[in-house]
Amino acid sequence: MIDADLGGANLHTFLGMSSPKHTISDLFRDPVKNLQDILLATPFDNLGLISGARAMLNVANLKHLQKEKLIRQVSSLEADYIFIDLGAGSSFNVLDFFIAAHNGLMVVTPTPTSIENAYHFLRAAYFRKLRHVIRDLKVEDLVDSSLDEKERFGIRSPRDLMAELRRRDPTVGELIDRAMMSFSPGLIVNQVQRHQDRNLGREIALACKDFLGIDVVMAGTVRTDEQVLMALNSRRPALTMFPQSHFAADVRRIVQNLNLAAEI
Amino acid sequence: MGEDSLQASFDFFGLSHEASMDEVDKSFRELSNLYSEGSLATYSLLDDDVRQEKLESLRKAYDRILQSYPNGPNTEVDSERGEESLDAESQRVCIDADLQQRPGLFLQQSRKALGLSLQDVATRTKVRSSLLQDIEEQRLDFLPAPVYLRGFLREFARMVNVPDAKALIDAFMALHERDK
Repeated sequence: MIDADLGGANLHTFLGMSSPKHTISDLFRDPVKNLQDILLATPFDNLGLISGARAMLNVANLKHLQKEKLIRQVSSLEADYIFIDLGAGSSFNVLDFFIAAHNGLMVVTPTPTSIENAYHFLRAAYFRKLRHVIRDLKVEDLVDSSLDEKERFGIRSPRDLMAELRRRDPTVGELIDRAMMSFSPGLIVNQVQRHQDRNLGREIALACKDFLGIDVVMAGTVRTDEQVLMALNSRRPALTMFPQSHFAADVRRIVQNLNLAAEI
Repeated sequence: MGEDSLQASFDFFGLSHEASMDEVDKSFRELSNLYSEGSLATYSLLDDDVRQEKLESLRKAYDRILQSYPNGPNTEVDSERGEESLDAESQRVCIDADLQQRPGLFLQQSRKALGLSLQDVATRTKVRSSLLQDIEEQRLDFLPAPVYLRGFLREFARMVNVPDAKALIDAFMALHERDK
């Protein structure tokens, strides 16, 4: 588990660990160190933590090269699954880790503010990935001019942009389209309390498909559960402290939905 | 309007042209809800004008499909529709819907034959226009409890001069009952 909420890392607290001795900031102080060196054992079998805690202020704003190096090291870590916990917002740091992952997962709550942020993030991540794809295909000219004429052609969404690209150059449009198909983030709706919000995730996924042309995979819904707060205050994971809780049941269903082989 | 635009209308609902009317209805309801103004799921996703446009195109696609079904309104009327004004349209609307099978459509045709908009009827009956529209489209699970529905139907039928209002109301109530 990598706590990459740089500037706000606190996963160690959820796991009942004291302040981590080694963190990501060590990497930038000592160029010889790599991720494996700062991997911390946790109280749980088969779970290691790489902490971004106590990051120096400048680490919250990683330089481009540092970020690339970090992402490369993550890909070579030896683990069955690597979870990267990212902070909120749509900064380039967050977007680049999100895009680098095999699967991105967004967590929203049933509030207008959270949903607004989610759509903002989704568009930002989509266009960031598109930029990478375009760079790799070396077709910057085609896309830049499409984006320039955004207003004139009424391009409002990734879906419109893709249609415009296909119109201009069917071959390249097809290539870009295919490369972008792998952009298919998962969605979790957290802290669901009201009955009418139970279908919210499915609705958001439908809107993303229909309006944006982005396939969002509905990973599941987590009900509000005060036992989560109790577990947090005991600094123990809710899953181990309250394995029978709504929260635990919902998380297990998400694990199933995502086809993760795990025993929790 | 050719087959292309019909297929495009089905595409709008993500359905194949072999979809049943029920599937089309369901998808239309779902998407109209999704893009409605108070929808949490699409909050901030669309600007207001885009939202209105989206709802309008949904409605057009839905109408287009509705016309293509055997029990739908006269296709000739449809083919001559288009950009003309409501007044011109009202001259030609013929009331041919089966009062028993599609009482909602019968009400809609009766209204259009009089050249009335939903808003006109809403103003005079004091029944809100979205509900009148739900009645016309027989969106049964959106309708209020039978005791209220009956009253709304009576007002609506009276306003658009339905000759045998009782038969229409009974037919509508029977459909509503069956839907439960």
